[in-house]
This record gives sequence, C-alpha cells and structure tokens, in this order.
Amino acid sequence: MLGIDEASLALVDDLQRRYIEALDRRAMEAWLDCFSQDADASYFCIAAENVEGGQEIALMYDDCRARLTDRVTFITKVWTGTFQPYRMRHFVQRIGIPTLDHGKLCVVSNFHIAITPEGGSSNLLAVGQYEDTVVLDRGEPRFLRKRAVYDTTVLPRYIVYPF
Amino acid sequence: MNAPIQWPKAVNEIPKAIFTDAELYEREIETIFHGAQWHSLAHRAEISKPGDFKTMLLGRMPVIVANGEDGKIRVFFNSCTHRGNQVETASCGNRKAFECPYHRWMFRTNGELAVCPGSEEFSPGFDKKAYGLRELRTAEFCGLIFATASADTPPLETWLGQVAGTLAGALGGDGRLKLLGYQKVRYASNWKAYSDNDGYHAPLLHVGFRLLGWQGGQGSQTPTPNGHLAFESQLKPIVNREFLKDPSLIDLKATDPESGSRIAQLFPHTVITKHMDVINVRFATPISVDCTEVHYAYFAHADDSEELVRHRIRQSSNLLGPCGMISMEDASIFNRIHIGSFTPGNAAFQKGVKRFDEVGFDVKQNDESGNLPKWNYYCELMGFQRSEVA
Ligand code: FES
Ligand SMILES: [Fe+2]
Repeated sequence: MLGIDEASLALVDDLQRRYIEALDRRAMEAWLDCFSQDADASYFCIAAENVEGGQEIALMYDDCRARLTDRVTFITKVWTGTFQPYRMRHFVQRIGIPTLDHGKLCVVSNFHIAITPEGGSSNLLAVGQYEDTVVLDRGEPRFLRKRAVYDTTVLPRYIVYPF
Repeated sequence: MNAPIQWPKAVNEIPKAIFTDAELYEREIETIFHGAQWHSLAHRAEISKPGDFKTMLLGRMPVIVANGEDGKIRVFFNSCTHRGNQVETASCGNRKAFECPYHRWMFRTNGELAVCPGSEEFSPGFDKKAYGLRELRTAEFCGLIFATASADTPPLETWLGQVAGTLAGALGGDGRLKLLGYQKVRYASNWKAYSDNDGYHAPLLHVGFRLLGWQGGQGSQTPTPNGHLAFESQLKPIVNREFLKDPSLIDLKATDPESGSRIAQLFPHTVITKHMDVINVRFATPISVDCTEVHYAYFAHADDSEELVRHRIRQSSNLLGPCGMISMEDASIFNRIHIGSFTPGNAAFQKGVKRFDEVGFDVKQNDESGNLPKWNYYCELMGFQRSEVA
C-alpha cells in the first residue's frame, strides 16, 4: 500500500525519475511501462488555458491504456523519418503534500522541458505541472493517470513526444 | 539590399526568396494583412455570451473581438482612444467593460467611452462620444467573424465567392457550434509556406494512411481567382482497423463518409476543416518573416449528444493538430520548406500542371496545381512583374 510516508514518497520520486529518464532517452516502451496495466490507465497533455476555460481539448488525449499503446506505435513506427529529431531534458520537482485516495496517491509536480533540435541550440519547450495518480502495479508504483498541464500558452513548435 | 526578386514567367514556378525576404514581409503586412482582405478572427461560439471577448492580431494591429451587452459582435482596435495604451491583455474572457489602466478610461462592451475621470480639465469641446474604441468593418458567415481594416474590401459574400459552400459545410452546415478548446503553436515558417502546405496535402506524406489501409475517397479541389481553395472529398472506411489498439478513435459518428472531408482555405492563410468528426478553425497570424502562429480552435455542433461531444474531444485532440496522428507530419514540412527556401531559384509545382502561360482552374483532387491561382493572385497583388530572366 502506498501512504504518505517517507518510503512511499521515495517510491513515487523514483517513478518520476524513471518517467523523465524514459522521455529524455525517447524510449517509448519505457515511457509506456511507467503506466499501470489497468485498461483505464490514462495520459493527458493539455494547455492550462483550456483547463481554466473549462475546455477539454488536449494536445494528447489518451484516456485508456490502448490509446497509450497506439501513441507509442505512432511515434516509433508511423512517424519515423517524417520529423526532425530533437532531444529533451526534463526537470521535475514534486511540490506540496500528496494526498491519499483509497490507496492511490495524488501527487503534483512542476516540470520544465528543455529542447535541443538536431543541429540547433537549446531552448525551453514547455513548463507546467504534472497532476499524477500513482498506484502499485506489479509491485511497483506506476501512473494510473498522468496529466501534464502546460503553462506555455503558445508552444514553440510541433510536438512529437509526450511531456 | 538584396537583389530584387525576379518572378518567373512560367506560372508553375514561384521564387523561393519570397519566403525569406524581410522587406517583402513588411510590404505584405501593409498590402495584405492591413489591406483589402477579410481576415477571420473568431467564431461566434468562442465568445457566445454578452461580455465575452477574445484578443487577436490583425497583421500587426492588436484587436479585441467583443460580444456586446446587446449581443452584437464587434471588432475594435485594442488601443485606448486617449493615449493609445493597449486596453486588454487577456487572450479571452468576459468583461462588463474594458478599462484602460493608464488614466482609467472605461469603455462599454459596445465600444462607447463610458467613464473618463477628470474630463472637466480636458481640451476645449472634449466630447466623450467621439472617443469610443475604434471599430473595424466586420462581417459574419456561419458564425465565423471577419474583419478588415480597409474600406475597399468587397462584401464578404463576394470575397468568399465559390468557397462559401465548402466553408458552410466545414462549419457544420449552419455554423451553430460549441467551443471545445484550443491547441496553440508557432511554426518556424513564413506564413506563405504555412498556408501553401496546410490545406493542400501530398497523400504520399502520410505513412499512417498507408498503414491503416486508408484510401482517400473521390473528391474535388476548387480554387478561386482571389486565392481561396476549397476541398471536398469522401472518406473511405479504414481497412486495417486492427493496426490500432483503440480504433474507436477513428470512428465516424456524425459524418456521412460521402461528405467526410471539407476544407476551406481562405486567402491569405486561414484554414477551416471538417475532417472525420473534427470541426477545426486554424486562426493563423504572421509573427515575423520566419514565424507563424496558429491557434487550432475545435468545435462541436450545438445539437450534439454528450457522447458525440466526448468523441469529438478525443478525435480532435489526437488527430489534426500540431502533434496529431495525421497532421504532425505536415507541421514538420512547414519548417523544412522554410529552411530549404534560403537557397536560390524557384520552387516548381508539377502535378496537374498543363500549361506555363496561364493558370488553370480545372484541377483534380490531389493536383499541386490547385495552389497556382493563389500564387498568381499574390503575384499581382504584390505588384511583381513576371520576367524571362529567372
Ligand atoms: S491611455 Fe488609456 S486612459 Fe489614458
Ligand atoms: Fe496532412
């Protein structure tokens, strides 16, 4: 069981590290493995402006595990060779005190993503907050739901990888 | 100073330099964006209640699109009539009145100046009535709000011409829409490279279509002499649905496959598309010679069931935006066309081109030549002379 104790928080922080490490390597299978096997496992990447306006359009709207899997297929198989590669570095910091809801831990973290396009200089891609629901899945903490709410009103480019 | 741009004689070629020339860009802002064209700035569904507003740029000029207390939508310069301060900074919202923070002049949502403290000391004969927010000419089509800074722009229906039918079809037929939200992004691309490649699609680009066994259906492409382009096509069902773990994403729930795709590309660079169950207006703004901002606004129809709205939200979010399953590849092309345009010479259109001395309006669904009437119009509008030299 996850709780609001030191040991649980260490597990959650480790999950966040696994998550950003997977994205920084652009290792989409490892990204997928950060999510629970639950059919309802979900990932949303949405502009803060939409959230504040009560609008649900997202940049990425994966409301079930099957959608998460399809996103990986598109990035790794379908889009190959159609976009200029870019590197990312994610910086994440848990903020506030997590809350516990029936064995699920709700965690809020700030994120900051730096981007370096192939042959280019480094810039800020997006900043925002992760709103995560973490559960124990196969003995390890995994995301049942992850929502990346980005402050960046206008993104500086088209996007390939999740935030 | 750069060498003057030579416009080639053959109508299927355009000089690459037009995408990168900063002086030309300045002329375009004056001639096209501040000139005698209509520019779509909002859909009524984005500002549906009295007091709702949205700020935009018309070329370089900041404007407020406001739904007045009287339910009438107006477009104002976003500049205080006192000393010119920007009045509103939010991208959207709802206000009882617009208040300029500098000397606290307050404007009603219909633009009238309501309050101007200390006016007893103002210049002789100062009259509040003469200091309302400056209003632009506006017109509406299926809820889409257009404005123009010029008195010479022809009436909207005339300006739309043949593209009107497709535009209405793309806006749900009657334009009674409900806002679902936005995706906003900048492309490192000249506005013309964006507009030249957004509506028009090389089917070869989309690996996803092939993997899904997704053949485009029969369709048509209709250019107008003043630079618009209308696409209409069927959507064939997808053959390899099993390629996706969640094929429900690409279901057609509200769309007759016979009229599955409706795209209206309006000069200079607004794209309105209804593809599958996605209703999308792409409001574009030129930021600089090498940067274009696009706000993808998504809509449902006012009569949709809750289930259909949910389907539109998932499909819209994942299919046609700046990281959409279908359109991410288009986005990458905008940037690469721009980079490639710093080399000398002309870009050449081939598919569907039948002659070099005049543009044809009889184009097939996937012809590149559909873009040529627009280039011809642009060439004349910007005062280029065609020459043999290039
Ligand atoms: S500039 Fe707006 S009140 Fe003076
Ligand atoms: Fe496309």
